Amino acid sequence: MATVAETVRLPAPHERTSAKILRALGKTPIQILLAVIAVLWLVPTIGLFVTSIVPQSATSTAGWWKIFAHPSLATFSNYSALFHNAGLTGALKTTAYIAVGNTLLVVVVGALAGYAFAWLEFPGRDWLFIGVVALLVVPLQMALIPTFRLYNILGIGGTVLSVILFHAAFGLPFAIFLLRNFFVGIPKDILESARIDGASEIRIFLRLILPLGLPAIASLAIFQFLWTWNDLIVSLTFGVTPITVWIFSQMREFSSSVDVVSTASFLSLVVPLAVFFAFQRYFVQGLLAGSVK
Amino acid sequence: MTDASITAEPPLRAAPPGPAPGRGPSRYRAGALFLLPAFVLLGVWLLYPTVYTIVRSFFGPSGYLGGWVGIDNYKTLFTTSSLVTAIKNSAIWVAVVPAFVTAIGLIFAVLIERIRWSVAFKTIIFLPMAISAFATGVTWRIMYQQDPSQGAINALGRTVSDAVTAPGVLPSAVPSTGLLQSQGGGLILKTPLHPGGVALLGLTGIAPADLPTGSKQAVKPATKPGDIVGTVWRDFKPGGGKPGVVEQGELGIPGVTVELHDASGNVVQSTKTDGPGTFDFTRVPAGTYQAGIGAATFAKPFGGYSWLGPSLITPSLLIAYIWIWAGFSMVVIAAGLAAMPRDVLEAARTDGASEWQVFRRVTVPLLAPVLSVVFITMIINVLKVFDIVLALAPESAQANSSTIALAMWRTAFSGSFDFGTGSAIAVFLFLLVIPVLALNIRRFRREA
Amino acid sequence: MRTDRKLAIRVVAGVALVAALAAVVAVFAGASQAGAKTPANTRVSGSVNFWGIWSANEQTAFQKVIAGFNKKYPNVTVNYTSKGNNMPTELATAIAAGNPPDVADVAQPGLVKQLVQQHDLKPITYAKTIISKNFAPAWVKLGVVNKKLYALLYKASNKSTLWYNVHSFKQAGIKAPKTWSQLTKGAKTIKSSGTPAYSLCGASGWTLTDLFENIYLRTFGPGKYNKLSAHKIKWTDKSVTKALKEMKQVIGNSSNLYGGRNGALQTGYPQCVDFVYSTPPKAAMVIEADFVANEILQATTAKPKKDFNVVPFPAITKGADAGAIETSGDEIITFRNTPAIQAFMKYLATPGAAEIWARLGGFGTGNLHVPASVYPDSITRATEAPLTKAKAAVFDMSDEQPAAFGSTAGQGEWGLFQKFLQNPSAIKSIQQQLEAAAKAAYK
Repeated sequence: MATVAETVRLPAPHERTSAKILRALGKTPIQILLAVIAVLWLVPTIGLFVTSIVPQSATSTAGWWKIFAHPSLATFSNYSALFHNAGLTGALKTTAYIAVGNTLLVVVVGALAGYAFAWLEFPGRDWLFIGVVALLVVPLQMALIPTFRLYNILGIGGTVLSVILFHAAFGLPFAIFLLRNFFVGIPKDILESARIDGASEIRIFLRLILPLGLPAIASLAIFQFLWTWNDLIVSLTFGVTPITVWIFSQMREFSSSVDVVSTASFLSLVVPLAVFFAFQRYFVQGLLAGSVK
Repeated sequence: MTDASITAEPPLRAAPPGPAPGRGPSRYRAGALFLLPAFVLLGVWLLYPTVYTIVRSFFGPSGYLGGWVGIDNYKTLFTTSSLVTAIKNSAIWVAVVPAFVTAIGLIFAVLIERIRWSVAFKTIIFLPMAISAFATGVTWRIMYQQDPSQGAINALGRTVSDAVTAPGVLPSAVPSTGLLQSQGGGLILKTPLHPGGVALLGLTGIAPADLPTGSKQAVKPATKPGDIVGTVWRDFKPGGGKPGVVEQGELGIPGVTVELHDASGNVVQSTKTDGPGTFDFTRVPAGTYQAGIGAATFAKPFGGYSWLGPSLITPSLLIAYIWIWAGFSMVVIAAGLAAMPRDVLEAARTDGASEWQVFRRVTVPLLAPVLSVVFITMIINVLKVFDIVLALAPESAQANSSTIALAMWRTAFSGSFDFGTGSAIAVFLFLLVIPVLALNIRRFRREA
Repeated sequence: MRTDRKLAIRVVAGVALVAALAAVVAVFAGASQAGAKTPANTRVSGSVNFWGIWSANEQTAFQKVIAGFNKKYPNVTVNYTSKGNNMPTELATAIAAGNPPDVADVAQPGLVKQLVQQHDLKPITYAKTIISKNFAPAWVKLGVVNKKLYALLYKASNKSTLWYNVHSFKQAGIKAPKTWSQLTKGAKTIKSSGTPAYSLCGASGWTLTDLFENIYLRTFGPGKYNKLSAHKIKWTDKSVTKALKEMKQVIGNSSNLYGGRNGALQTGYPQCVDFVYSTPPKAAMVIEADFVANEILQATTAKPKKDFNVVPFPAITKGADAGAIETSGDEIITFRNTPAIQAFMKYLATPGAAEIWARLGGFGTGNLHVPASVYPDSITRATEAPLTKAKAAVFDMSDEQPAAFGSTAGQGEWGLFQKFLQNPSAIKSIQQQLEAAAKAAYK
């Protein structure tokens, strides 16, 4: 049959060759374009790094790119000053607890709810989902005061747990939105056959949904981790000191604080970047797992 | 997978007498259980504060004791100019950012499928998401500085601009006396000159370090019959000195092109000054002349755009914000692309469709749910924009760059600590997003 | 065997007894040694939670002050937390939750007034005697609200100073200005010499209000200044017009500001300071408070006297007190009243508490019993000693206003003076807008 189809469709092979040529030609310009974009994209971050390794007197009146002409100016004194600062390690630990804690909570609770909205049936399901997604718009600034009052009544004000719960709650609408949309794409027959075989919902969830939804779950975990790692306003309000609040509190009132801000900010981005790298591999695995049905 | 369920019901029965395995109350129970933790978190941290805020917006600044003010807070919202600006700015943000971020993310996601170093590229584009919005604001603020010797972007602009039109030798010089007046971008000495005359062109506003090399003590040249001579010099010595008089301690300016204008204004001769600043127009025919310095000498170097000024501050913020979020868009869309069934694409290609047609007719429609997730998330994020405006915009531009979320925070948490109006702004924000949600809901219902 | 053991036990017991006696003696000896200097008060105990805006090196300095306090009161623990510039918001949220700190350091007297009106603060009348002993009446009054004493102005800045680049002035051949006409004339000369005269920090609105306030103070004197500050004189008054016209003499010529008008509006504090001391300098002078020295020493390579120097803000009108100082600073306020807090507050009012920090530089005080000799160098002495000697001290006007008018970014005084910098000819319009904003804030 294939041969018949090919002999009938004469123009097709011709197009395919031309398309192939185009594709081959097209590869190098794309490589160059992407390389240029990547370099330009990096410039601000390089600027941040250079500002952190140069003494303040050098950057205060000349552009930071001058360092490439005077490499001897580079010094790590800003970093060593930072490490001698007692509050830094405590702040980093607090940041880790908050970021990891709330991400785990969001992923678990979000996946459960996302699956429920995607594949479980119950009355009012669609309207409830709309309601949950509507909560996406609640600006977290406005929940600060009522929540703060509530925390003090419950006696958990100023604790890492209070911040974890707050972040998890605010991460849920997006998590449920994202995961439900991904889970909906899972072929119905897989689920039906599992149900017909008598598997309980929780088993279907653990054995089927989680593995299949791994790319989406990984993406969600990265974003939630990053957003909460770099959050300032929530922790500031609840009296908890992760790295962002610590940097903020180190800003001098009447002097430039670029040395502290740039150095600590650059240090602080190492962890989220490492997390991204780690979860990157999950994308590939998810890809392979998903394509083999 | 128990034996009991296999023997219980045949799978294809339409309306089983009892609940089918997995349907009915047991499924409802599962649903309730799965949703319980989410509903607790959402109820306490999102629903309750929302209701609290809506109620609070109808009360005065000092709380319930302040008394009911009805819709006064909302009236304030639409009549205060700073808040109206914030609304306008937020509208710009919503119109520009989500579209750009989604489009850029889509383009990147598609392009990186063709390169082998996609992980490296993804990391680089995603990197800004790892940096706190505050640090990003500080970084871009430094880059946007107007002075080209400080701000990276204007430095690039200067390199380009100076390559096109070289700056003059004396960009900041001004005349030292009223005898020298500006004309057409340059300077001209108003006193009429005749052959054998002397023209003194004194300039100030030049730092000694900025004098061209070879500058020496200025000299007033002796008159030469038939020639017009003169000096261009830095008419300043510590304390000021006498303007218009060449004094000891004042330096001449070499390398300046001096022009001789005839009575009708045409340039008949031009010459350059030497070390002491003197020049000599030789063999000048009889007549009345004026001496001047052309505009090219005073051409100012590229001054830099005011990226942080009131008019450009919002575009500057948009660029920085897109720089951060393009990575998010790219990663989510790439995940969507990865999950796309390959056979549909292959089938389209086998049918003879070109790459562009495959992209437009197959890829994009299949990606629609993912694209809408990104688009909608960005709309909502954009309405919440806060940290970056605070850190990037200098105080002088804060009013012009204000957004709704920032205005709300300022009203409630600083300045007047007015929770009533702050709550009203928050409710307004909420109302704004509802049309967006309605759109998405409609699509969702259509899918189902 | 038994006797051996008995002997052993006796020996051990004896040694133990001797050791215990020795320990007791040592403790008493130590205590009496300390007592020989100043008796440590061990009766007062407890903890004090202190929220301050000082961070980095300033925090280190204050920790030394706390150590000095602990020498006198070893059983009181003072816990210092830095809240940076976010103090007003942090306090507001903490108070709303019913959980404020014990003691806080606040830079805005307007905020102090607000907190008193909200019944959040405890008066510090117990410290009245020691504060009156150490501070001139004008300084004590700065902490009084509704006739009760609530705050101690512990750390003060001299805001009536002008800093310049020594080389730029030499190059222009002018001397540091003593009068306003010398300043404006000298600025023209500096411009002719090739450097813009002024580096303005337009992005930081408070520097513009400082300039206006110093001008007003030197033109009309402390009496009228305080009236305007209390809004007893309107912003549409003729005196304000005169002061704004004088201010126009500085900000009016865009080419005499580094970066021009636009550049000045985008430059914030402390960057404007860096511009004056770069090589080559981008401007010849910056008109701001004594803490400019901190920035110079930290962010530039300029050396005192050789590269940078300072003069008092120039005199304008003969009648106005040329030695009056505009000051701002940190007011220490309390939210609770315990013996530990009382001890700490009383300590901060003593000259000893001020001297510990003064020795380290970057600190000024109105404490009359702090000698000028404790300041570490001649420049610091020149800017800080006048704080105690000045016949009149007034507080930073914008800090005394309600926060919505006097210290909020982009609006009120800060925003309107930035508008004024953008268009220095619109004097009448700016006055009207200032008065409207003041009226709204004061209602």
